[in-house]
Amino acid sequence: MVRIIYKETDGTEHPVDVAEGTSLMQAAVDNGLPVIIGECGGQMACGTCLVYVDEDWEAQTGEPSEMEEATLELHEDNPHPRKRLSCQLKASPELEGLVVHLPESMY
Amino acid sequence: MVLIDEMSLPELPVELPEFQSDPMPFVERAREQHPWLARFSQGYIVHGYEAVKDLAFMDDKLEMGLAHVVEFYGVQGSQWARFMLEMLQSHTGVEHTRIRASVAQAFTPRRANQVRPVMRRVIGELLDDWAPRGNFDFAEFASYFPIAVLCGVLGVSTEGIPRIRNAIETHMASLTLDKAVYPGFLEAFDLLWGYVDELVSEREQAGADDENALLDALIAARDAGKLNDIELRDMVLVLLIAGYDTSKNMLTFTLYRLLERPDDYRRCAQEPEFCARVIEEALRHSSIATVFRNVTQDFDYQGHSFSRGTMVAFAMPLANRDPAAFPDPLAFSPERESENRHLAFGRGEHICLGQFLARAQLEEGLHLITQRLHHPQLDGEIAWRPFLGAWGLRSLPLRFDVSA
Repeated sequence: MVRIIYKETDGTEHPVDVAEGTSLMQAAVDNGLPVIIGECGGQMACGTCLVYVDEDWEAQTGEPSEMEEATLELHEDNPHPRKRLSCQLKASPELEGLVVHLPESMY
Repeated sequence: MVLIDEMSLPELPVELPEFQSDPMPFVERAREQHPWLARFSQGYIVHGYEAVKDLAFMDDKLEMGLAHVVEFYGVQGSQWARFMLEMLQSHTGVEHTRIRASVAQAFTPRRANQVRPVMRRVIGELLDDWAPRGNFDFAEFASYFPIAVLCGVLGVSTEGIPRIRNAIETHMASLTLDKAVYPGFLEAFDLLWGYVDELVSEREQAGADDENALLDALIAARDAGKLNDIELRDMVLVLLIAGYDTSKNMLTFTLYRLLERPDDYRRCAQEPEFCARVIEEALRHSSIATVFRNVTQDFDYQGHSFSRGTMVAFAMPLANRDPAAFPDPLAFSPERESENRHLAFGRGEHICLGQFLARAQLEEGLHLITQRLHHPQLDGEIAWRPFLGAWGLRSLPLRFDVSA
């Protein structure tokens, strides 16, 4: 299990133990967390599992793929510099303790 | 657990013209008996928002139910049946992912934005041609728009559209489960298959390699072993079909709703951002798609047992008017703020591939139409399409003033 902390904009933290290999979108949905929707179930086809990752964690989370970037364009009006689709972040030991920030709303 | 076959459930007469023109009185009565489930002549209809949302995610237990449609007409073994059972939507899991991946890059929000100039050009040319008439059937006008945009995405000429328009209509009519449309849709399919085969062959012979042409990308995917020859043609046909009936019906429905809201109509001409709000509310208020699923393994949901082989229809037009999810659901309110988002594009594995393209062309279309056609008024009787499959208006006669 990998401990991931989902943080709402008001500072509320939701620590969740996520099985290795499970996406952070799926874990959020399975645990009934707010904001994350995941309409397409994790195929980069909806853009409704947006999160932000802190700069310190960029090395561990890696770069978004071209397809992920193209889908993230749905949120082009949102100026945050480190947007990710949480369906593309899979729990792994390097992500132990990762904090992902939830946006204010998804739409 | 109660087996749904043994439950006393209300029946929705989806085939009645009265249901097609206004399903809500029927649905409101049905809801008093059961909040989200009803029967119809061929199976069950799920009409509650939460239930459709939950069940649409259960792709491992509910596959696309087109085998029921094939059986309904008794046309197993036909070319049409092969297409229906092998096209993208009929696959699931790894195979579905492989086939969908061959086109997914062409349907991202980024690509949809890049195609906006094509959308504006197509609708502009159509308006140049049609607007001077002063009146026309908007449903017919709209039928030339999304498919021309799709030809732009594929990178093929729009010259073939008049040839295939009626055939797509006829093929799609098979989803209404009305035996009167047999065998017309089989002939229509042969015409469509011939058209797609020609498109692919011509493109192959030309050796075209345009990075913005989806057809070239699909041919390259076939050459790289990611798709076979039949899958390539199936995919082109799926895109032509899916991109035709859906967006044109949504655009026609949107115009119809705006006839009662002249201030909103005028505002659409001024503000593209407002067009986006109107389109989002139209997708909620007047969704068009009812999709079929087949239960592939027994499962329980909220105390209800569904058995293998059952046909279940997800009625998006009804789920999006569920008062438990959307207060005052029959009010058309572009300013509506809701916790829930409509189900117009579905959920899960089969979520609409073209949702961003659809939104973009509906927004662009609405913005330019409202700039060019002023004071639209009904100019005759509207006519409704069958409810199942792709609902909407078959005819929307309008008259209007035209900009000088």
